[in-house]
Formats: sequence, C-alpha cells, structure tokens
Amino acid sequence: MKLNERSVAHYATCESPPDKTGFLVKKGERNTAYHRRWFILKGNMLFYFEERESRDPIGVIVLEGCTVELCESAEEFAFAIKFDCAKARIYKMAAENQAAMESWVKALSRASFDYMRLVVKELERQLEEIQEAGRGDLVAAAPGGPLVKSKSARRNPLARTRSGASSASSTSSSSSSGGALSAAVFSSQRSVQEETHLPSGPSRENGVAWSKPPAALTNGFGDGPLSCVPWDGYPGSGSGADGSRPPPVPPRRRGASLESPVSPGTVCFSKLHEWYGQEVELLRGEWLQSQ
Amino acid sequence: MRFNEKELVSLSRQPSERAAELGMKGPKKGDVVKKRLVKLVVNFLFYFRIDEEEPIGALLLEQCRVERESGQVFSIAFLDETEKKYMFECDYEEQCGEWIDAIIKASYEFMRKNLIFYRTEIHRLTGQDPLEQYGISDETRFQVNSGLQLTSKETSSM
Repeated sequence: MKLNERSVAHYATCESPPDKTGFLVKKGERNTAYHRRWFILKGNMLFYFEERESRDPIGVIVLEGCTVELCESAEEFAFAIKFDCAKARIYKMAAENQAAMESWVKALSRASFDYMRLVVKELERQLEEIQEAGRGDLVAAAPGGPLVKSKSARRNPLARTRSGASSASSTSSSSSSGGALSAAVFSSQRSVQEETHLPSGPSRENGVAWSKPPAALTNGFGDGPLSCVPWDGYPGSGSGADGSRPPPVPPRRRGASLESPVSPGTVCFSKLHEWYGQEVELLRGEWLQSQ
Repeated sequence: MRFNEKELVSLSRQPSERAAELGMKGPKKGDVVKKRLVKLVVNFLFYFRIDEEEPIGALLLEQCRVERESGQVFSIAFLDETEKKYMFECDYEEQCGEWIDAIIKASYEFMRKNLIFYRTEIHRLTGQDPLEQYGISDETRFQVNSGLQLTSKETSSM
C-alpha cells in the first residue's frame, strides 16, 4: 500500500512541536536484537531515527487501534505496543528507567486520534453547558459585568482553520489566568482563533454567577498520593482508588489484557479516563511492590 | 521509510468519517483521473479501486492544504511540496464543500487547536482547568505551547 511517505517524514521534523522525544531501545523487525533509537512522538505517529541527529526517520508506527502494556522481557523497563488486528505486530520497547517508561506508556496510550477526539468532544460539551448555564443565569450576573452571549455564533469556532497552515494560526493575547492553576501547568496565553463574542473585560472574574459547577463526572483516579489499591485487572472485583464504584467493564477485545478502551462502543469519556487512570495506577502499584 | 502497513490497512476498514466514489488524479505529470473509493478515517485518506478490499494507498492529512479548485473539484497538497496536488472530482458542489470541510477537520493538529481553544475558554469562564479532573493537565499534547521547548540548535539538525 502506498503512503505519502515524504510528507509523512516531513511531519516528523517540521516545526510543529513534538509531543515527546527520547531514546528507547526497540526490538528489531528482522534482526531481533534491541537497537537504541531516537523517538519522536507527534500526534498519533511515533517516528524513530537511527540517531538523534538523523535527518530522516527509519520508520513510523501509526498509533491507532493499539494498546500499550508492560511486558515480559530480558530488558528492564520494557513495554509493548500491541495492535488488535490479525497477525498484528508487537513492538517491544524498553526505556532507560522507570520514570521514562511510565512517561512513555502514558504518552503513547493517549496518542490516538480517537482519544484526542474524545477529549475535544468532552470539552466542547462542557463549554456548551457553561454557556447555556450562563444564559440561564443572566439575571444573577453582576451589574455591568460581561454577559455570555448566544452560542450560535460561536459553534465550531475553528471551522475555517486550515490544516497546517500558519496563516490562520493563533495569535496570543497575554491575559493572565487566575484560579488555582499553577503557571507551570497551564500557559497563560490564549489562542484567539476567531473573534469570540465574550468580551474580555478588565475584570478577570466571570461575570455570570454559577448556581452549580460544571457537571461532575465520576473519576476514580486522581493524581494525588499513591493510594495504591492493587488492581485485579477486572473492574468490579475491588474498589477504585478513592473508594468509588469501579467502572463497568468496557467492551473487551480478544486477547488483550489492559486493552485500549477506545473501541467503537466506548463513548463515555469519564469511563475512558478511569480506564487510563487505572492503567497508570497498575504501573505504579507494580513498581511499588517491586521496591 | 518503514511503516506498520498491516495495521494501517486494518485502520482503512474501520468506520469512516466519510466515504464516496470520487474521481482522483495523482500529483505527477501524466497522472490521469481514475474512479476511486475515497475513505476518510481519523487523519488518513485511504483510496481503493472500486470494489477492492485493500486500499491502493493512504494519505496522512497533516501539514496539508485543501483547496477548492472549481465547483466540484478540490485538491490536497502537502506543505513540503505544494506544487504537487492530488485532485478529487466530486459529483456535485455541495459534496465538494463537505469533503473540504471534513478533511480540514481531520487533522490531529486541527483537533489540538480546538482542544486548546476550549480549554482556554472554559478556564476563562470558570477559573478552572477542565483537564485537571482527569489528571491530564500536564500532558504535553494539551499545552498551549504544545510539546517540548526545543532550542533552534536542537531542531536544526533534525
């Protein structure tokens, strides 16, 4: 099957920032020895180069329909990228240390287009809810404060943006973000793709009174202290990290243990997150037990 | 460049965003229009000979430019070689517009921009980062200045 390889390789090394880079050892395809390669993860594409300075990638792994799991290996800190199709390849890799392994497994698990799409849909839904709540609470708004206007004009604010074109890319206004976020986590720049109808008044406060927080979704996983409940592998047999009810078993694929929940049947974002969270929880649990 | 072809072929069989029989012409001089089944799955455009199971080829829709060439024709060109255009003939104008729209929205990078926009807006309206509750606020792919801060020296050799 043909692929626009040259342009794909260009995507690897063009100026758009990668999501993750680093050295990993990868088990060879024909020669089964492990080779150290330089990896660049961008979107749902994992490129690998012979050297960090190499201009062109040796190859690319398209990360759709795959799961990322720990695996048994002579190598330490090993993990595998497994695909769910007939006679699929298993890419065995190993990182340089535990932290790197965890970081790569997390990044690769969240690399798929499907995952990104879910996150975007979720935020889109949240924003709509917020806007609707805002309209409903107009009476309670602070006098003279900014009001949320009709959302109809703002649907798909980025609909006109062209893929990859820089002309439509964001310009940032440096409005500082308030709230409890640490600056390290959340950059204070705002991307202004199209004129929003929400006036950015001098006050950073939201002029619309909230009667309730945005819909709370169940999430058994937090980034907090490691309250490691060893996960048996089957939800329903134990409780989540914070004692919440375990999620219903997501649609399972044959042969996979910690499988990707992104299958056509998985629509619920909070369940998806619980699932990912538990993967990492398991990793942490195993590591702690091995200490 | 090696790629996981089997898995990509498998991906071509997944439910698609959009699929239709279009007239397709390659970017090389001398390429002619051929009827192909064109199928959009995630950020790939697959094209098949009519009634064949396996795609002839795939186009990764990143770093590309989609343009309307005429009422029923749109083109895809990649930013590293913008003169080389893949041409697609639709049956009617509206269909052409729909394809253009769909392809623009099919890129990962486009989705990322959307996400950053929504995240920023929600934070502006509520003072809260919507990704925090999922424990993914730190993910590089969700940052406004996405990815690593590579120096120009580091990137120039890549």
